[in-house]
Amino acid sequence: MFVFNNFLHNLWKLTPVVIICIFISPIIFVLASLFGDFNNNWNHLIDYVLPSYVSNSLILILGVSILSLILGVGTAWFTTNFDFFGKSWLEWAIILPLAIPPYILAYTFTGLFDSYGSANEIIRSLFGLKSDFIFFPNVRNIFGAIVVFSFTLYPYVYLTTRMAFLNQSRSLMEAGKLLGNSNRLLFFKLAIPLVRPAIIAGLALVIMETLSDFGAVDHFAIQTFTTGIFRTWYGMYDLNTAMQLSSFLLIFVAIFIFIERSERRKMSYSYSSSTFKKTASIKLEGSKNFFAFLFCFFPLFIGFILPVIELINWAIFFPSENFLSNNLISTLFNTIILGFTAGILCTIFALVINFLKRFDKGWFLGFFSQFLTLGYALPGIILAIGIIKFFSFLDSSLINTFLKLTLLGSLIGLMLAYVIKAYALASNTIESGFQRINSSIDDISLSLKKTKFEIFLKIHMPLMKTSILTSLLLVISEVIKELPATLILRPFNFDTLAVTTYIYASEERMYEAASPAIMIVLIGLIPIIFLSKIIRDSRPGA
Amino acid sequence: MTVEVLNIIDLSFAYKKNEEIFSNINFSLNEGEILGILGPSGTGKSSLLRLITGLEKPSKGEIYYYGKEISGKNNFILPSKRGIGLVLQEKVLFPHLNALENVKFGIKGSKKEKEEKALSFLRLLKAEKFSKSFPNSLSGGEQQRVAIARTLAPEPKLVLLDEPFSSLDKDLRAELREETKELFRKTNTSCIIVTHDFEDVEALCDKVIKLEKGKIKNLPLSS
Repeated sequence: MFVFNNFLHNLWKLTPVVIICIFISPIIFVLASLFGDFNNNWNHLIDYVLPSYVSNSLILILGVSILSLILGVGTAWFTTNFDFFGKSWLEWAIILPLAIPPYILAYTFTGLFDSYGSANEIIRSLFGLKSDFIFFPNVRNIFGAIVVFSFTLYPYVYLTTRMAFLNQSRSLMEAGKLLGNSNRLLFFKLAIPLVRPAIIAGLALVIMETLSDFGAVDHFAIQTFTTGIFRTWYGMYDLNTAMQLSSFLLIFVAIFIFIERSERRKMSYSYSSSTFKKTASIKLEGSKNFFAFLFCFFPLFIGFILPVIELINWAIFFPSENFLSNNLISTLFNTIILGFTAGILCTIFALVINFLKRFDKGWFLGFFSQFLTLGYALPGIILAIGIIKFFSFLDSSLINTFLKLTLLGSLIGLMLAYVIKAYALASNTIESGFQRINSSIDDISLSLKKTKFEIFLKIHMPLMKTSILTSLLLVISEVIKELPATLILRPFNFDTLAVTTYIYASEERMYEAASPAIMIVLIGLIPIIFLSKIIRDSRPGA
Repeated sequence: MTVEVLNIIDLSFAYKKNEEIFSNINFSLNEGEILGILGPSGTGKSSLLRLITGLEKPSKGEIYYYGKEISGKNNFILPSKRGIGLVLQEKVLFPHLNALENVKFGIKGSKKEKEEKALSFLRLLKAEKFSKSFPNSLSGGEQQRVAIARTLAPEPKLVLLDEPFSSLDKDLRAELREETKELFRKTNTSCIIVTHDFEDVEALCDKVIKLEKGKIKNLPLSS
């Protein structure tokens, strides 16, 4: 009887195993393609396009890394160590570009800087120049893409680096100064090496997002892995080769996941506890004050203000797609339903797994919980291919036979992709919510004859309202922006805001693309504002 | 007739294999008795309390509560089924509930019964006047009064106190110690108190043991 009870008691531990099996299956199907035959299309790829996929991806990564580092670390350094004009609002506003997906910035960039785009028109009319005069260089190339990715993704570096700078004790810098180092030397010799793990962790996220992107590189017609996978599948109708290509991208991404995780583990060495002294801000005057403001305002302007102005300009002055049109309202409705469902599912999974982990001190749940969060780094296009292959297998072997259902082309596939991709956002938020609740509270509740479920309902849930809401909002915003997986997995005639924006933009109908794009930005802003509030309150020792 | 509340037989405990915190511990506690456990930090005093409440499982040995095995090789009663009260050194009131709601949390019965009982325990611990206050507005001593009231309100037969007065100032410690002892006597509640402080033991306990180097030693109170 005891053995049986013990078995039942441990049965719940299988929940994460079941979830992980579902999560991992699409990836296994993709990787399994490497062990199959490589056909003629593969030879064609190697001979003609694979080298450019690799080189373009590498150039993109290198360029985006350098620019994101300058923007992210620079803004973090200024807002943490100096007082300058506008700092009080810039320190949180700097992350607003996170609300703009790279593909939307790419669309507005081309709208602005193309030969007959708004920016060139303004220059021509201001200076009375001829209509064929072009002031701004062409942005539809890899350099334009580097700018687009850097100005939308640098906030990842800013967030991790700023947190590390804030936790850096003033005593360390004072010790450095006493040893005769100038401010510039201190920055390069002490401040940067101390926060290096935080910088690398943020940078790895930037690189993973860059490698996963489809919308922006497709708009700029740059041959990268993601566009290559899409073309191999939709152009050559060769799913197997597309999967083989996906496997190589997956290996590429895995390297950055590994780097991000290992650097994140080292981040704690920049924290000092008992000797912590808050870094005192130095007041900047004159030209230095202006330069610091400009340095922090510029990325915000390019990454957020400029595209928003351009989108509003398109939507208001060229209103070809009315905000209240039936088409757009039904698209918005589809998007919100998908976002909410994914948000609720991810939050429930995160609550269940992290709650079980709280009471189980073994490695098992901790490891699996960490493993499930890796889904965030998976490019949407790979997930979509894996899910299609996985569902075709299920349809042909099990589901159709027993349940007379077809999974392929249903919303279930899309939802699975969203949950895999966004689970990490929910898990990280819920995990930190649980960590804020003292574990002794559980011990006391148990001693008061409350079951674990009662503790969850009566203690954890009320204390975690904000975490649950944040998790929900983060997942919704991620799902609303997600393009490649939605494009591939959506049921026939089922459009979302991201897909509608993409379709209009790919047909160069930018004015029509503006309204859905604005909606994406507005919804994406909600969790960013939440995050901004956390940043405002995040000064330790304050 | 003396009734045995707790009997611990050959109890061993290790967080990691082959790294035993203590081994083959034996002791018992009778109804209404207050037992003090002394010992240096890291000897497993708190772990012993966690084993008795069921928050940890022993690596070896048995624990009997009123003659019934609650932890052993073939039996393990969950902490939520044991009904053994626990008060910790840290202030662990539920932050989203006021003092009264905290005390009501573990009481069974109708809404009115819960309210009355919770208020009577707050009254016993001179904590009635801040029954509507939330933990963040209470001082350390007030929080500990509410925590003790919360533990005693479900009327457990055995209460475990883990350094309950160590974060309080000297006068408050003495006052709360006296009140707690009186309350235990009044309700005939058995108690185990883990402490560093011999004053706690002198003022509260009927008997005392020392946990050192993984073994138990009986100490006469006069020592």
